[in-house]
Amino acid sequence: MKQFDRRDFLKSSAAAALAGSSSFGVLSRALAADPINFFAWSAGVDQVKSHISAFEAKTGLKVAYANAPWAQYRDTLVTKFVGGAPLDVLWVSDSWLPEWAEAGWLAPIDGYRELTKYNAEVDDFSTKSMTYKGKQYGLTYYTDYMGFFYDEQMLKKAGISAPPKTWDEVVQQSLKIKKAGLSEYPMMLSMARETWLIEFISAMVFSHGGRLVDDTGVAVMDDRRKGAREALTWVVDAVNKHKIVSPACVEIGELNGLKAFSSGQHAFAMLGRYRVRTLNDPKQSQIAGRVKQGLMPAGPNGSHATVGWNRFYGLTASAAKNKAKAADAVKFIEWFGGKADGKYAFQKLMFMDVGAGFAVKPLFKDPEIIKTYSQYSDIKMYERQQALARKKDVVSPWFGEWDEVNGTAWQAAILGKSSVNDALKRSADTWNKLRRRS
Amino acid sequence: MKGLGRNVLLFTASALFLVYVLAPVAWLVSSSVQQEAEITSRPPHWIPRQPTLENFEAIFQAKEKKVTYETRRAGDPATGGYIPSTARDLVPSMWNSLIVAVSVVVLNLLVAVPAAYAMAKIRYIGRSTSIYFMLTTRVIPDIALVVPFFLFIRTFGLLDHLGSLVITYLAITIPFSVFILVGYFESLPDELDKAARVDGCSRLQTLLRVYVPLAMPSLVAVVLFTFLTSWNEFLLALMFTQTPASQTMPIVVASFASDFTISFSFINAAGVLAVVPPVLMAVVFERYIVSGLTAGAVKG
Repeated sequence: MKQFDRRDFLKSSAAAALAGSSSFGVLSRALAADPINFFAWSAGVDQVKSHISAFEAKTGLKVAYANAPWAQYRDTLVTKFVGGAPLDVLWVSDSWLPEWAEAGWLAPIDGYRELTKYNAEVDDFSTKSMTYKGKQYGLTYYTDYMGFFYDEQMLKKAGISAPPKTWDEVVQQSLKIKKAGLSEYPMMLSMARETWLIEFISAMVFSHGGRLVDDTGVAVMDDRRKGAREALTWVVDAVNKHKIVSPACVEIGELNGLKAFSSGQHAFAMLGRYRVRTLNDPKQSQIAGRVKQGLMPAGPNGSHATVGWNRFYGLTASAAKNKAKAADAVKFIEWFGGKADGKYAFQKLMFMDVGAGFAVKPLFKDPEIIKTYSQYSDIKMYERQQALARKKDVVSPWFGEWDEVNGTAWQAAILGKSSVNDALKRSADTWNKLRRRS
Repeated sequence: MKGLGRNVLLFTASALFLVYVLAPVAWLVSSSVQQEAEITSRPPHWIPRQPTLENFEAIFQAKEKKVTYETRRAGDPATGGYIPSTARDLVPSMWNSLIVAVSVVVLNLLVAVPAAYAMAKIRYIGRSTSIYFMLTTRVIPDIALVVPFFLFIRTFGLLDHLGSLVITYLAITIPFSVFILVGYFESLPDELDKAARVDGCSRLQTLLRVYVPLAMPSLVAVVLFTFLTSWNEFLLALMFTQTPASQTMPIVVASFASDFTISFSFINAAGVLAVVPPVLMAVVFERYIVSGLTAGAVKG
């Protein structure tokens, strides 16, 4: 018997309320007369508004731009979809794609050649992150990956001349730094239960040569040969055996981790790549000018692979149904996710203004971008690591439910409340159960 | 000597408690005038070494009518670009919050006071049931009401309109307000009601001239409860508003943590401004608060 999940609940309550509200006999407005309804989370607001102004001036079309905070964005959009709010184009996280596509809220863009032509210049993992069941659902808004950073000055003080290339070297160098009294917990790792956790876990697993789920969608995280065992064991040992990562890591979210690293308490950190701008800004960081990016350390059987993520412009199914509206929406998506007046204007604007990452490869050759980035980091390293980024393998319609169990299981292992094997088995069993149920 | 020791102990305990309660507020204020890098100093700088008002300046700067490439606020790290471009939305959002909160307070009193008086002083069939029925509506969690509310609001064309918040907040606050006031009105002697009626007062006159003046502490409690609920409410405001024209303070503050650069010192500056109205209200009505909240809680 199918269980009653949160989305079913929302739909049921919507149906009940719709029955009630329809008794008032108020007709909904016709879609076609509306402007392009664009919904996003509240990031780069002025950049978005300025690019909308240019779009309106160029095309004569009107855009109704609205936003909500990132942390509540998914719930807000689910309510708006269920409630039939006017939505045409929206920012979508790769993590929500299967859920929203299965619900019929998003429309594929494969039929719009003016959009898919940009795939040739976009990083492969980024396009894959926008693809579900063989269909592409949007154009990239921003793309980034989990980066490995180190405080060059602290390493030098400890007599270390080069950053670690492997996770074993991270342990050795951390112990040296710890012994020199430079840091109590040299490695900063965020393992708090939040949306970032899966990015940290995936980066650890990929760099150890493992997978959480294989290409057929079967859980392999508990497989001793190709799973996540080595990655989780490294974290557990780092906390409990070597004591180079604080046990409080289970309470430290990505943002607090950023602030802790920027205060000079740690030598190494895993953070979103774009954070390097903040880390090397004297107004925001105590270690400005000292932070360098290294390749993600490799596990014994792994590589320098990391996890990448993608946020993209999605076309709603309701807009796609209306030919005129769809045509306008596609123009809008191209203006933002593709080229505007022959240039990747918006990606460049976001990079220059707020440091947001991009997936369009030609921008790595842009002189202005190279010059700007060189003020706070190394663009060669940025590009080199991005080429090794992979999409998350656990994105699925049941991702949200599984993610909660998986996060708890990893935390239990880190805190010594469960063994590594038990934690991964629990995670795998939950995945398989949810997969069967769907 | 024994009394002195007791006083010293009491003073010390009170001072410690005061520090415990006020330290977070002191840090909120202090960090709001620090640069982002300074708030991560170890040990923390309770007194800023390089105080700055740039967070507050960003909040109070004039709003651009139309944002273009030329007028946008670019996040240049060299010039304190960590302040979000939406900083200037905070003051309008506080104004929106104030309009909603005051409207809800006024409408709430207009509905709840006569309702509570009627329930407390007029005997009719189903009186107790109606009181408890109203209260049971508050047992339903707000999250369960979001979608039904959303559909009604959309049907009435009130999405992204302050009216949507006033209507829904009234639905949330009126039952509790009635419950508080019924308890208080019941604690006042029925003889007052009868005497006023004998002297020729109508029901409305009895309410306004006799009971309302006597019920001032509980009315203040209702006002405070309603104002603070409306001022701080997040979930429904999140769902029903989507542009600065109607977004309230909690939504705009939450959006400051959504951007690529997130500044704790800026968020704390926003927090300093956000607590001012509730604190002012609490100070003004302080003497009524405790008596109002406990009034009617114990009946003889």
